[in-house]
Amino acid sequence: MTNHWRDIKNADLILINGANPAEAHPVGFQWFVQAKLDPQRGPGAGGGAKIIHADPRFTRTSALADIYARIRTGTDVAYFGGLINYVLQNNLHHESYVTNYTNASFLVKKEYGFTDGLFSGYDPKARKYNTASWGYQIDDAASVAYNAAHPPAGGAVATLAKRDLTLQDPQTVFQLMKQHYSRYTPEMVSRITGIPQDQFLRIAKLVGEMGQPNKVMTIVYAVGLTHHTTGGELIRSGAVLQLLLGNMGRPGGGMNAERGHANIQGNTDHAISWEILPGYLQIPAPQRKTIDEYVAAQAPKKLDPQSWNFFGTNYKKFMVSLLKGWYGDAATKDNDFAFNFIPKPGQNSSWMSIYDQSLKGKMQGLILSGMTATSIGPDSNRVMEALANLKWLVVMDALPTTSSEFWRRPGASPASIQTEVFMVPTTHWIEKDGSFTNSGRWAQWKEQVLPPQGQARHDHWILADLFQRVKTLYRQQGGKFPDPIIALTLKYQDPAKPQLDEIAQEINGFDLTTGKRMSSFANLKDDGTTTAGDWIYTGSYPDSGNLMKRTDGIQDVKTNDPTGMGFFPKWAWSWPLNRRVLYNRASADLEGKPWDQTRPGITWNGSKWVGDVPDYPATMKPYTLDPKAWLPFIMTGEGTGRLFSTSMLDGPLPEHYEPVEAPVANPLHPGQSASPVAFLYSGGGSFGAAKDSFGTVADYPYVATSYRLTEHEHYVTQHVPLLVGLQPHPFVEVPEELAKEKGIQTGDRVRVTSKRGKIEVLALVTKRLAASTIDGKKVYTIGIPIHWGFVGVAADQDPSKGANWLANALTPFVGDANAYTPEFKAFLVDLKKI
Amino acid sequence: MATPVGFFTDTTLCIGCKACEVACKEWNQLPDNPIQFRDSYDNTGQLDQRNFRHVRFVEQATSNPDKPIAWSMMSDVCKHCANASCLEVCPTDAIIRTEFDTVYIQQDVCNGCRDCIAACPYGVIGFDSQSGTAKKCTFCYDRLQNNKMPACAQACPTQSIKFGNLADLRKMAADRVQALQAQGVTQARIYGDTEYGGLHAFFLLTDKPEAYALPNAESAVLPGRNDVPGYLAVAVTSVLAAIGGLVAFRRRGERA
Amino acid sequence: MLTEHFVAAPHWEWYILAYFVAAGLSGGTYVIGTMLRLWGDARDLPASRLAFFISWPLLLVCPILLTLDLGQPTRFWHMLIDSRTAGLAFKSWSPMSVGAWALLIYGIFSTVMFVVALGETRSTPALLSRVSKVAGTLAGRVVMVVGALFALFVSAYTGVLLAVSNQPVWSDTWTLGGLFLASGLSGASALVLLMSRRRPEAAETDEKLLEADRYFIILELVLIALFFVTLGGVLSRVLSGGWLVLWLVVLAGTVVPLLVHWRPAWRQRISRNLGPILVLLGVLALRAVVIFSPQS
Ligand SMILES: Nc1nc2c(c(=O)[nH]1)N[C@H]1C(S)=C(S)[C@@H](COP(=O)(O)OP(=O)(O)OC[C@H]3O[C@@H](n4cnc5c(=O)[nH]c(N)nc54)[C@H](O)[C@@H]3O)O[C@H]1N2
Ligand SMILES: Nc1nc2c(c(=O)[nH]1)N[C@H]1C(S)=C(S)[C@@H](COP(=O)(O)OP(=O)(O)OC[C@H]3O[C@@H](n4cnc5c(=O)[nH]c(N)nc54)[C@H](O)[C@@H]3O)O[C@H]1N2
Ligand code: SF4
Ligand code: SF4
Ligand code: SF4
Ligand code: SF4
Ligand code: SF4
Ligand SMILES: [Mo]
Repeated sequence: MTNHWRDIKNADLILINGANPAEAHPVGFQWFVQAKLDPQRGPGAGGGAKIIHADPRFTRTSALADIYARIRTGTDVAYFGGLINYVLQNNLHHESYVTNYTNASFLVKKEYGFTDGLFSGYDPKARKYNTASWGYQIDDAASVAYNAAHPPAGGAVATLAKRDLTLQDPQTVFQLMKQHYSRYTPEMVSRITGIPQDQFLRIAKLVGEMGQPNKVMTIVYAVGLTHHTTGGELIRSGAVLQLLLGNMGRPGGGMNAERGHANIQGNTDHAISWEILPGYLQIPAPQRKTIDEYVAAQAPKKLDPQSWNFFGTNYKKFMVSLLKGWYGDAATKDNDFAFNFIPKPGQNSSWMSIYDQSLKGKMQGLILSGMTATSIGPDSNRVMEALANLKWLVVMDALPTTSSEFWRRPGASPASIQTEVFMVPTTHWIEKDGSFTNSGRWAQWKEQVLPPQGQARHDHWILADLFQRVKTLYRQQGGKFPDPIIALTLKYQDPAKPQLDEIAQEINGFDLTTGKRMSSFANLKDDGTTTAGDWIYTGSYPDSGNLMKRTDGIQDVKTNDPTGMGFFPKWAWSWPLNRRVLYNRASADLEGKPWDQTRPGITWNGSKWVGDVPDYPATMKPYTLDPKAWLPFIMTGEGTGRLFSTSMLDGPLPEHYEPVEAPVANPLHPGQSASPVAFLYSGGGSFGAAKDSFGTVADYPYVATSYRLTEHEHYVTQHVPLLVGLQPHPFVEVPEELAKEKGIQTGDRVRVTSKRGKIEVLALVTKRLAASTIDGKKVYTIGIPIHWGFVGVAADQDPSKGANWLANALTPFVGDANAYTPEFKAFLVDLKKI
Repeated sequence: MATPVGFFTDTTLCIGCKACEVACKEWNQLPDNPIQFRDSYDNTGQLDQRNFRHVRFVEQATSNPDKPIAWSMMSDVCKHCANASCLEVCPTDAIIRTEFDTVYIQQDVCNGCRDCIAACPYGVIGFDSQSGTAKKCTFCYDRLQNNKMPACAQACPTQSIKFGNLADLRKMAADRVQALQAQGVTQARIYGDTEYGGLHAFFLLTDKPEAYALPNAESAVLPGRNDVPGYLAVAVTSVLAAIGGLVAFRRRGERA
Repeated sequence: MLTEHFVAAPHWEWYILAYFVAAGLSGGTYVIGTMLRLWGDARDLPASRLAFFISWPLLLVCPILLTLDLGQPTRFWHMLIDSRTAGLAFKSWSPMSVGAWALLIYGIFSTVMFVVALGETRSTPALLSRVSKVAGTLAGRVVMVVGALFALFVSAYTGVLLAVSNQPVWSDTWTLGGLFLASGLSGASALVLLMSRRRPEAAETDEKLLEADRYFIILELVLIALFFVTLGGVLSRVLSGGWLVLWLVVLAGTVVPLLVHWRPAWRQRISRNLGPILVLLGVLALRAVVIFSPQS
């Protein structure tokens, strides 16, 4: 989230796309309700914020929304694109904000283009874009002069882009964008999404109002946007709309991802993904031989003299501090701070690749910890064959999972599965202390609730112990490259049993010259005198103590929330530097006054910025007093928000592409229906290339989407009888009209099939799903909750033992071009009563 | 006596998350529901000895193009009626009114006759065959006595369940209805201001009470209404039967 | 205006049915025994005795059935004594509370009359027969009549108990107490008739009993009619599906005996036992359909 949960109460209009917060984030939903109940909020004269829920299904969230729009799954770019077009055509954008705080005025290269659904630079063989043509026009002379006057820090050379602050030049981002989205007429939006034109226009009218400085809208999304081959662009399209309306950086605004598991935000912050290091530093590519080469390639370039380019400028400091934290004395200036100790993946190593590689026979073993590969999917049958192709599988979990039991699932013959499976009992998160970072970036320390049960050990102890043993083996027997293992510091009292408190300190980082803990990443250095296990968390555990433990909250609202905006600065700690709203310089106008006096983010009080922790130098004057002051978006090379992005792999402006399995050809460009750069896997074993297992609408006439229910947490609550009692049996939701056609009634057993597999569960017939008219065609959506498999109370009690209960038996094995996230939310199926 | 407490359940804020059901079950250590698939998101079905809270899902089609379905959720519970039918009929005085003005079944007094179940107009009470007693929401008597709010209200994320001083809640409810009416929700109304002398757990509804399986004002009547007519019918029958007996038994004596 | 119900069923089942039948017949036989003594002559004394003999054992099973039906049988006494204060638990407005007390008090009377009847038989100890003499006195009569009032109550209150609830059907009518009383008296007459087959001296009263039963049946039919009328829209609840079979039994247990009693010619042709047996089956069926159908 750019903002945070409590901040939703500050909004006038709440767009919910691809999220079902009432069911997946019920506790967070209280802030939506508070906004609704606050008479100061709302469009027009106020009277309560309005909620617009766009979702293929009418859900418990829709029940509390003011407008429910039945959108076809995978089409939110068209929806947001239509809104962008409406705002631009009617001049409803926040003009001062767009001109000064976004890259609307930047001139894009003449070579950039978009025709027949393809951006310039497409290489059909590689299924990749050469993104060179998507850059800005660079003012070479100015750049040279600038670099001469300001010697580049940390290897980041300035390449200054040309701008036209009148926004009239046809190569400005603004004009290109206007042209790009002119195709997204209400009629086109309706053809693609199925939302009736008149309803779309009612929504557009409300949204358009949010460009006024005294109004603010928030967009809330979750995996209903990410679980698509166009996931990255789906989210960007919302962000573009928010920038146009001037809603980024403002309380009550922002682009807000509701994250998953209680600590999934912490997970990404600490680099659970293969392509990043802690703090969103890029994993080095194999060709980067030195740290400077790496920084030059990765650090954002300064594109405007007024851009602070904070990230680019400090990239090296963060990286060196990380390496110093990991490798201690072994990281020296001479060995580039052990830069070459860290792995440099030569190819995509994202989540699905693991199974793809295993199918190709390229993997020996796999450790799954706190993750249920088999149930998660996609294409569970493919995943299970991949697991069967391993020599060994370790499952670290507190409970049996479909992965630990895959070899004896109903219908499998254990004798034919040679994988050796080890179940390593771990403590559950409830049995340990440590921090959770929530969607609003608040790291909150929790205490152990239950003592470890049985022989369970903490994950970090298991891993530390394992590491010590590997290290001993390297010591004793050597190996190809033992240094990264042997030199790794584990400066804990008991290196085999680190305390989470020690790890939290390590993450925060130390000043090696004084031995004290760092209090801000602004003080990190690239000379090897500081450490930071994750620079964005530096300051969470300063010498004064663990700030994540703070609980000064609503016991005393006056003292603890001095601004009244719900920042509660002494409740837990949020990254970066306890800032509650990111980009908050953009919440104030050129004079430093809040766009809306009643909802200040930060305010210039004549000598400094007050309010939230400023996302800006605290005493840097507003532009009216200091025309050379840094632009508000300090992390980007532009210094502005990006309407046009040069760093996405699938296009600089979000464009609607159909899911890989779609009921219609893309009405915008039927020839290029799905994303040209969706990531395809080549497969192996009895499973061929994944693309051969994509079905067509002729064979699989219904659209399906998969989702959560309030009553269950994925697969783990299948072990909790109380919750199983609330949602006992797997089911699919079938629209009433389709059910009538098929003679299906609630409680009937049905079979849902895709090109990849089948499930056999009960039908729940409902009005909450209905047909949509897509490009003139009647299209039904079927709803598939994800929570069941062959493990758990319900499966144990069922005669079928949960055979054919895995929702992911149906989903396609294909990834988003940028994030490689599977397309869980849009696929084609057939439905039969059995 | 402590001040009378109550629940104001605002159904327009309920998201059907069942946190209230779960919190209640956890606190009161109630048994799990059996694995039984019903015809909606509601697999709990009803209030009973296992469920002191039950979230009802009411799904109706509407004519509003922006809100084609009204899916109303209501967390149902014992109403802690001011004039409580259950308390009225209980022969053992197991059902008492507590110092918080709530209606409470003393488990060590109840002998499991189930008359209260027959009497409760809201189908609240269930018979626990394990303990052999009647059970229902205790209004978390044990928590109230320890200055804690009821588990269900504490768990409710959206404050659809509001707990507090009864008089304050009534005021809050009246204001909320007014606000909703002003926003054009003309169907907004309070249920439980007058029924059974005023329910201590009362509700904000957006439809007729019957739509939420609640008896309307005319139907909300006490069992005692049948006491006098019932006995009167018995008396009249007795007299008629006696006359019949007199005629039948006397006549032969005369003949003799 | 009929009440719209959204209630749960108390699951009163077989024990309660048996209790309702036993209470109805015990109270009914006591009342008949008393009426025979009040208004009949010496020849009716054997039948009266028989009635009291029948009444007592039926009474004895009542508390047993009631107790067995409780979830906590050992707490039967909570009906009478407040287990918290050790005071009396008595609520005049709760038929179950009043009923429990009535049953207790009626039990005393029923026992006394059983003893009296026993004392009147030839082969009893002297003490007993002396006690029996008291029955003939005014005081004895007063006691007997007071007992009969309780007997009437015990026979009838079960209907009021059902009505004082919020269950569909039960609480929608005021007729059940009267109906159960009429049917209880009719069943009691039938029971005495049946038993008199074994006691020839009691058969003297058969004709009277048959006549009384006619009146009781007529009363019962009138009350059934009123029951149906008062139910209005909920009628379908008691008349639907399988419940019709039970109503047919009720019909057989009322109309058939009535006709048979009326037409001595028919009476000759069929067994004398048939009428009473049908009546008793009707008593059972009536209570079964009333108890079970609303709870289903
Ligand atoms: N109760 C419960 N809560 C949870 C979890 C759980 O398992 N159970 N899991 C947690 C985790 S890990 C996560 S990631 C989050 C996920 O939180 P959410 O993303 O809110 O959960 P989902 O139910 O997967 O999907 C959200 C909604 O997206 C809709 N949808 C699908 N495709 C589209 C689309 O293309 N456009 C739009 N506009 N909507 C679409 C679906 O119909 C669904 O209602 O929830 C977290 N919270
Ligand atoms: N079709 C479809 N598929 C989906 C999704 C979808 O929407 N549609 N959603 C996807 C998403 S967003 C997610 S996040 C995944 C969720 O998939 P998973 O993360 O696999 O789901 P959970 O059931 O939460 O599994 C977590 C496991 O961690 C264990 N666990 C809990 N605490 C600890 C601990 O401290 N240590 C260890 N070692 N184990 C622990 C639990 O016992 C449980 O077995 O599913 C994905 N799959
Ligand atoms: S389960 Fe936990 S994380 Fe999820 S909404 Fe409830 S309280 Fe929040
Ligand atoms: S709702 Fe029912 S159980 Fe609760 S107090 Fe009223 S009558 Fe008694
Ligand atoms: S079941 Fe218990 S609480 Fe209910 S009426 Fe009987 S004794 Fe009273
Ligand atoms: S007040 Fe207590 S007992 Fe009653 S429903 Fe709430 S949690 Fe359950
Ligand atoms: S906890 Fe609150 S929001 Fe959730 S179901 Fe219960 S009353 Fe509704
Ligand atoms: Mo997730």
